[in-house]
Amino acid sequence: MNITRRLLGGVFAVALASISFSQATFAGTSQQLGAESVIETIKKRGVIKIGLDLFVPWSMRDKNGDLVGFEPDVGKKLAADMGVEVEFVPTKWAGIIPALVAGKFDVIISGMTVTPARNLTVNFSEPYAFSGLTILANTAMTEGMALEDYNSEDVTFTCRRGATPCVFIQNKFPKAKLLMFDEDGASTQEVLNGNAHATMASEPGPSQDARRNPETLNVPFNIAFDAGGEGFAMRKSDPDALAYFNSWIRRHNHTGWLKKTHDYWFRGDAWHDQVE
Amino acid sequence: MEKLFKKLHWLDFLVLGCVIAFFTYVFVQMSGNLNYHWRWEKIPNYIFKYHTGREEWFANVLLQGLIITIRVSIYASILALIFGVILGIARCSNNLVVRMLARTYLEILRNIPPLVVIFIFYFFLAEQLIQALSIENWSYKVAKMENNNIWEFFCGDMRRFPSLVSGVIVLALFESAFVGEIVRAGIQSIDRGQREAARSIGMSSFQEMRYIVLPQAMKKIMPPMANQFITLIKDSSIISLISVQELTYKTAELVSSTHMIFEAWLTTAAFYFVICFGLSLFFTKLERRT
Repeated sequence: MNITRRLLGGVFAVALASISFSQATFAGTSQQLGAESVIETIKKRGVIKIGLDLFVPWSMRDKNGDLVGFEPDVGKKLAADMGVEVEFVPTKWAGIIPALVAGKFDVIISGMTVTPARNLTVNFSEPYAFSGLTILANTAMTEGMALEDYNSEDVTFTCRRGATPCVFIQNKFPKAKLLMFDEDGASTQEVLNGNAHATMASEPGPSQDARRNPETLNVPFNIAFDAGGEGFAMRKSDPDALAYFNSWIRRHNHTGWLKKTHDYWFRGDAWHDQVE
Repeated sequence: MEKLFKKLHWLDFLVLGCVIAFFTYVFVQMSGNLNYHWRWEKIPNYIFKYHTGREEWFANVLLQGLIITIRVSIYASILALIFGVILGIARCSNNLVVRMLARTYLEILRNIPPLVVIFIFYFFLAEQLIQALSIENWSYKVAKMENNNIWEFFCGDMRRFPSLVSGVIVLALFESAFVGEIVRAGIQSIDRGQREAARSIGMSSFQEMRYIVLPQAMKKIMPPMANQFITLIKDSSIISLISVQELTYKTAELVSSTHMIFEAWLTTAAFYFVICFGLSLFFTKLERRT
């Protein structure tokens, strides 16, 4: 019995030591991460990993199951300019910032609106796209309502959890009820079914939904709210990455490539056959 | 068919009629309230499709997801079985510390919602393990190799390997607690006298387990274990939350791309049902034979 006990003690000591040792090595890697820019990591790996979540037309699956959209175009162009391959890592929107911080990918290029709250956790590049939010309303339920009328206890809004429209609706229409869903399809469906009066999302999503269901849905106000601009999001304490992405965006604003691509996905409908 | 009709009493027909009437009512109500444009004809393309670029048949998003779900379930259940057997034996150990550690692990897992467990394991355990073993660099190396067909067959796209690993680990650790309980119950169902007899004819505790207890316990363990395996397949949908690209995750992707909410989710439900129900029938048959 004595021997087993001593043996057990030994095992415990080894286990504890290995745990503290492994923690020491983790601390080491995170220090290295701070000292070494993600740009270097990308070059060494030969692959840039881009985190994104799907929403039309930023990024979506086409009929062949491949990723298409504005973000994949931006990602491919960025990778081509860096001389590396591109890999997209689809990630749930609600967990996309923690995943970036945990190092699952190098940068988020997913139409993320620059907000002060997010900026506390991650760094943002200059905006590479500007898209405002619009209201998509159930026509029958909101007939004759002015914008102020939406701020009422009788009005129900829907939005995608964790996305900017949720915060915006809470601020702009504090009295209205707000239902949150995991993705845009469900929040639109609630409006279609008449369980909610309206939803908000970034253009051209709402206009498209209104076009698809002209007898039930419409975009009542020709106003783009909260046009804050979307930026690449990256981990903090990485000035090199911030500088690189900013220069890249500035350069392609200058050449007009960003505007051209943005217009293709956001203003036109030419890509629609690819997806549905 | 005639026999079936003869077996049924008129009351049975009444009950059946009521059930059918109820569902018809629900369906009519639903289609009245539901403003939805059904597009079922598009679904088969998202399972299997002729690629317009590559000119070949390929598994589209839903089938890709299904394959990953199956892969994750198989690996996770093997791992869960190993952990679970160790845990089960530890629960019956003579050593108090071992017994208490096993009990603590079990009680913690059993009394925290699976979703929370998955997040905790993912960020605090799987992530650290993947970094410590530098699995990521290794899998990128394999992904670039020429003859990596074997790896691709077992693990899918090697660049997604770390996410597969974390999914499998997280799921296995979570399920191992329940497998452990099944194993413990099996071991304890063996009469004490048998174990004492084994020791008295000079078997070591390992031999006692190997030759006396486990062979008998296995028979009792099999049915609940099969059930647990089916539960594991269903539970695997939770790991979509840590962005493992399995069936549930792929369905969510399809929904956000095409807004075919109901078709996509109903198809996915059918996939899960066919697999789980099929396995359940298979296990029942197996049990009857042994």
